[in-house]
Amino acid sequence: MNVAGIGVVFAGGRGIGILEEALRAGWSPPSRGEVSSSSGKTMPVYSVEEKTIKDRAVLKNMRRADRFSKMAVLAAWDAVKDSRIAINQEKASLGIILATAFGAQVTAFRFLDEIIDYGDANVSPTLFSHSVHNAAASYVASALGNHGPTLTVTQFGFSFQQALILARAWIQEGRCENVLVGSVEECGAVMEFICRQKLEIAEDGRISPFEFSPSPLAVPGEGSVFLVLSGGDGPKRYCELRDVFLDHQSSDAAPDIRILDADGMSDDETCYQEIASQDVMIAGYSPLFGSMMTGSAFHCASAALMLMNQTRYACPVQDNPHGIRLCTSTEQKKLERIQCVKYSCLRERAVIELER
Amino acid sequence: MNVAITGIGAVSAAGRNLEETLDTFQQGNRNVGAVSLFSTSLSYPVFEIGEIRGEAPDGEMRTITLALCAVEEALLDAGLGSDLPDFRVGVCLGTTVASQLNDMDFYRNYRSKEPVSIRSIDRYLKGNLAEAVGRAIKVRGPSVTVVNACSSGADAIGVALSWLRSGVCDIAIAGGADELSQVPLCGFGALGILSDSICAPFDRDRKGLNLGEGAGVLVLESEEVCRERGKAPLLYLSGYGSAADAYHLTAPRPDGSGLEAALRRAMFEANIHAQDVCFINAHGTATPDNDKIEGSVFRKIFGRDINFLSSKGFVGHTLGAAGGLEAVFTAGALREGWIPASAGFVHQDDEILLSPVREKTPITGRFAISTSLAFGGNNAAIVISRGPMNESGAQDRGSA
Repeated sequence: MNVAGIGVVFAGGRGIGILEEALRAGWSPPSRGEVSSSSGKTMPVYSVEEKTIKDRAVLKNMRRADRFSKMAVLAAWDAVKDSRIAINQEKASLGIILATAFGAQVTAFRFLDEIIDYGDANVSPTLFSHSVHNAAASYVASALGNHGPTLTVTQFGFSFQQALILARAWIQEGRCENVLVGSVEECGAVMEFICRQKLEIAEDGRISPFEFSPSPLAVPGEGSVFLVLSGGDGPKRYCELRDVFLDHQSSDAAPDIRILDADGMSDDETCYQEIASQDVMIAGYSPLFGSMMTGSAFHCASAALMLMNQTRYACPVQDNPHGIRLCTSTEQKKLERIQCVKYSCLRERAVIELER
Repeated sequence: MNVAITGIGAVSAAGRNLEETLDTFQQGNRNVGAVSLFSTSLSYPVFEIGEIRGEAPDGEMRTITLALCAVEEALLDAGLGSDLPDFRVGVCLGTTVASQLNDMDFYRNYRSKEPVSIRSIDRYLKGNLAEAVGRAIKVRGPSVTVVNACSSGADAIGVALSWLRSGVCDIAIAGGADELSQVPLCGFGALGILSDSICAPFDRDRKGLNLGEGAGVLVLESEEVCRERGKAPLLYLSGYGSAADAYHLTAPRPDGSGLEAALRRAMFEANIHAQDVCFINAHGTATPDNDKIEGSVFRKIFGRDINFLSSKGFVGHTLGAAGGLEAVFTAGALREGWIPASAGFVHQDDEILLSPVREKTPITGRFAISTSLAFGGNNAAIVISRGPMNESGAQDRGSA
């Protein structure tokens, strides 16, 4: 499959150009969330600013939509525009697969507020319909005027990777010519509370991907990434997405760079050390986006950009206690192949392989 | 590639397995009543499952327990057990309730700043439906939970079909599961689409849907794997179509073009024509809009004489489980050679001009369709057949 277009919404802003600027600029500190009732402290969060998701032209029919849907629609819209593919309303040639770990949970909790505050018979139908996981994908289809298959999938381990596997199957069997694959996550007060309960938080706002710690530090993030993937004959603006390997499989060819998804979302990141100790340059950009179950999507977009630009970007946080071969400077380099590697909490591994 | 159905499992208010379910269909029993699983001020009737067989592990989500009941039955039917680890087995299941952290006790405590039990968070984090089922039956292969609202179960079966055709796995366990929950009860109530009496799909006087719960699962595998393990296919999954309305978050497109596109795609994949279809298990929620649009699309594509029914009169609307359960009912009917009366239907609606079957009806054709429509404008259709496609891709259309 070819990566034909990319759209991004993240704490740094919106658009592939902003992503490139962020990769070149390096680390910047996150904002702070609300004061937690349990700890009495604020939490560092890579949150998407409201001004980032204001776009009256694209969101004109989404007045009542929530932040989750707006982030999804803007990233998806930008990816399609970036790819320059035409939406054929008759042929339904574009499929949509949205991957998320937690869905529109901020809206879901607002709906629970209504049940508690007003009773079972006096809740908002609008909040309910927006709390359903597939509302965002539905808005994406409507914004694009696209009638192809539209699917929302969820998993805590590898939902973005599973979405890529399915996209390839859809293209192979001729179900669609192109597939718009993306991820969306949103961070709100309850999610911050859950993160505080379940994760170790980097209070200074710095995720350290190369500590390979048995108790890694996280900084919750939010945002959306969409990629337009095309079959072999389709446009290839960025690179080829060669394969997705699960279950500890991997390709034989060594990559030029291996990007690690280590972002503190797993309770133990020591497993990354085995793959970082090999003679391959290592990178990790989660300190730019924050910690997310579907953070692989941001790394996949970064890798595609690196292959198109033939540029490797310096890691934003370069703490390197294990002395691995880290990408420490931004420079033009011949890049043929990049792998994005993620371990789940159960130490299962997924590898997304991209090629020039 | 021909994809065989080798195992079927179902649990719903109509029965704790397929045999009980078919018996309920035959008798015309409708196990509807008041909500007993949680306290609510709403008095809409629901289709609850009285007793779930077996002991659920402490803290396991009810949806997972329901799914595992159906999975166990389907695996037994498929003759799969200790040999599961020999294959790459994918798990693709649809749900709505199990995908959300809708734990009211957790959230009440969180709001009131009372100490919050971490158990409810852990239960959610360990409760992704496909992952949890995959772990429980110890399989290795892709797993993904489809959260496409009310078409989730049908779409999950479509995903499994794509996996098998592209060689991602050898065997796939696919369908849907959902428990009855306070949250959708309140939500559907607010939307004004719940009926305060027992539902009447496609009837002129229908007033809305009744919620239900359950799980429906198919075991799917390539013919090659069937041959390898000496298992004769029960039926075949011949086609899947999906299309988006791109119209409205909760209302279906009035012209039904999304559903029509999904149906035509599914029939194209199965290489069949409208006249080859012997019956349709309709989505048939009993809401005014759904049934009107579905009926008009059926009439346009299949003509006035098509046999169709809604099984929601027996099990209610089981949301993420609906597509899975209805695929199971479609497969069961093809296997048995009859479809039940469409429960609740009495008077033809002048705006639909089609009537579902009013009595148990024998069927003799080879191809049946199950349709699903969902919030967000998703439309899905699957084709189940009694025989495989031949090597040229053409279906053998002879009578069974």
